[in-house]
Amino acid sequence: MSKLSLTLTINGERHEVHTEPHRTLLDVLRVDLGLTGTKENCLEAECGVCTVLIDGQAVNSCILLAPQCVGRDVLTIEGLARDGVLDPLQQAFIDHGAVQCGYCIPGMILSAKAFLEERPAATEAEVREALAGNLCRCTGYQKIADAVVSAARATATRR
Amino acid sequence: MSFEYHEPTSLAEAVDMGARFGAAGRFLAGGTDLIIQMRRGTVAPEHVVSLHRVPGLGAIDANGGIQVGALVTHRAIERSPAFQGRLRALVEAAEVVGGHQVRNVGTVVGNVINASPAADVVPVLLTLDATVVCAGADGERRVALEEFLVGPGRTTRRPGELVTAVHFASPPERSASAFLKAGRRRAMEISVVCVAAQLTLDTTGERCEKARVVLGAVAPTTWRAREAERVLEGRPVTPQALHDAGRAAAAECRPISDVRASARYRRLLVETLVPRALARCIERLRNAR
Repeated sequence: MSKLSLTLTINGERHEVHTEPHRTLLDVLRVDLGLTGTKENCLEAECGVCTVLIDGQAVNSCILLAPQCVGRDVLTIEGLARDGVLDPLQQAFIDHGAVQCGYCIPGMILSAKAFLEERPAATEAEVREALAGNLCRCTGYQKIADAVVSAARATATRR
Repeated sequence: MSFEYHEPTSLAEAVDMGARFGAAGRFLAGGTDLIIQMRRGTVAPEHVVSLHRVPGLGAIDANGGIQVGALVTHRAIERSPAFQGRLRALVEAAEVVGGHQVRNVGTVVGNVINASPAADVVPVLLTLDATVVCAGADGERRVALEEFLVGPGRTTRRPGELVTAVHFASPPERSASAFLKAGRRRAMEISVVCVAAQLTLDTTGERCEKARVVLGAVAPTTWRAREAERVLEGRPVTPQALHDAGRAAAAECRPISDVRASARYRRLLVETLVPRALARCIERLRNAR
């Protein structure tokens, strides 16, 4: 089976990757590029820990083949802070104590990021629906929802 | 997983690859079913033909009926202005498929081809008398969706054939639709039962001219409750008529008991959800006046 040469744009940087076509974006991120902020768990698009943004939309990187991502902008949790300054969502998670074991958090934050870009004035009910594809085994949903809603309010006030 | 990967850049090239690879090939759209099935080993194609560089397949064409291309995602259905109003049920079904991450890549045509009896969007397409547009070596053919679905995971798609779109006519005036789903929780859930209804009233606005009642997860395929439709058509849409339709649907459906629910519970859900979906159609018709 032949390997493919792919140019992937991840967090604004171009990466050349040589890989078999069956490897997923998740494999390439974690194994080839060492970007282990994106987590691996169910591998069936059920749990959401592998969530990244592709052209601004949340997707499960565990079921996306790497070659499908050529020519698109991939954002992982490593690319969210700008110039050493945390994204307001990341800061809100810290401020609300929304992180317990932490495994689901990169996916939670990226799902929330995509949703708030589209719906900046989201209500708590809408936030909870938007995060339905991200499971937290610590069951820390209340503080996660609080953090996202407060980040939404802060952004709305600034605008 | 191990396969040769292909990225055709035209429809003709994609159709040609499908014909060449036959049963050894699979087309890849959103991949929300296919990649999981390949990882589990339930399918093992030698060739995967990704459609994402084929132009035109991502379009929703609303000129003269509505055509939903093979790359149209559930998210696109949720956001499309074409599906408010009379086609609201399509949005209601699309917005309960998986979570946001799945809806951002999963496609309507994929939902059809996967042929799960519990599919969410498929019942709504059946209420619209949709047809499936297939492209193969011998050209294009159109198959009624009801004939396309033959069993769990089974369709009349020929090996190598590419489903380019699903097509349906715009519902007439005085029509409304609704979709209801019962699961054990409200998101990320496979339906225990789902119901799609489409109701067209006559010019008096009181009598049912045409009814479509379609059920999910109560038969080997998504399934039209014809007896329930017959109960409604030509009758005034009274609470009694809706109740009778629910009873008819519950009597004629063929649910099984499985890990999600017993057959008996599924029948009870059908008897409850069918009148509720129909009542929602009527409410929408009254509000639209």
